[in-house]
Amino acid sequence: VSRRKILPTRAALTLTPSAVNKVKQLLQNKPDHIGLKVGVRTRGCNGLTYTLDYTKEKDKSDEEVLQDGVRVFIEKKAQLTLLGTEMDFVETKLSSEFVFNNPNIKGTCGCGESFNI
Amino acid sequence: VQRVRTCSAPLTSTACYSSASSTQEEPQNPSSSSPAENIRLSQSCLERLAEIMEKGEYLRIAVEGGGCSGFQYKFAVDTVRNEDDRVFEKNGVEIIVDQDSLEFVKGSTIDFSQELIRSSFQVLKNPRAEHGCSCGSSFSVKI
Repeated sequence: VSRRKILPTRAALTLTPSAVNKVKQLLQNKPDHIGLKVGVRTRGCNGLTYTLDYTKEKDKSDEEVLQDGVRVFIEKKAQLTLLGTEMDFVETKLSSEFVFNNPNIKGTCGCGESFNI
Repeated sequence: VQRVRTCSAPLTSTACYSSASSTQEEPQNPSSSSPAENIRLSQSCLERLAEIMEKGEYLRIAVEGGGCSGFQYKFAVDTVRNEDDRVFEKNGVEIIVDQDSLEFVKGSTIDFSQELIRSSFQVLKNPRAEHGCSCGSSFSVKI
């Protein structure tokens, strides 16, 4: 019997400090929601787009990412496309948005909402 | 001595800003001109602008070539009014659009859309725009 091999596990998704803060802030007034769920949907001129929703429970197939006390779930369909992605929250005077820095994508739309793999 | 202003169209907003004659207050009543020439501001847009804009700051909307559909909207905070700018004022918040861009956005509604993933200003119901990008920042013009 060979020894159990220890493999490094990397989080499927990492959050920047500003994203962590924002998620915390979003969930503060929503005690019945346990986290946010990230998914992808076919939309936009470049194939796919990210979706973000509150979630009340963890689905069986969801990947759970726990970082700095906030929980983000990744939909099954999005797990492969999101692997290694950094989730950031960018706030300017005119807009505020979650930005996904995804190493897997080949191209994005001009506004960055839509992307392809 | 009265300065002659070279404005042709009867505008509701203060057009043709000349640096010397700013003492004159023009009545600003959006309903008096044709709605097709105007830019409407949604309630959420007004609220957000009132929240973030300081005195002397305006939201500037410009149209540029670019994006996946040919043209795209640009939003910026500006403190300078140029001569060819038109100003749209409502409830004390002001939006400026330069004359060239106005041709592409007149009749549309400016909205501040708030979603979980992003909140930003958007141009909605643009009568000149054909289908655009899904995010709404880019559009093509109806011919």
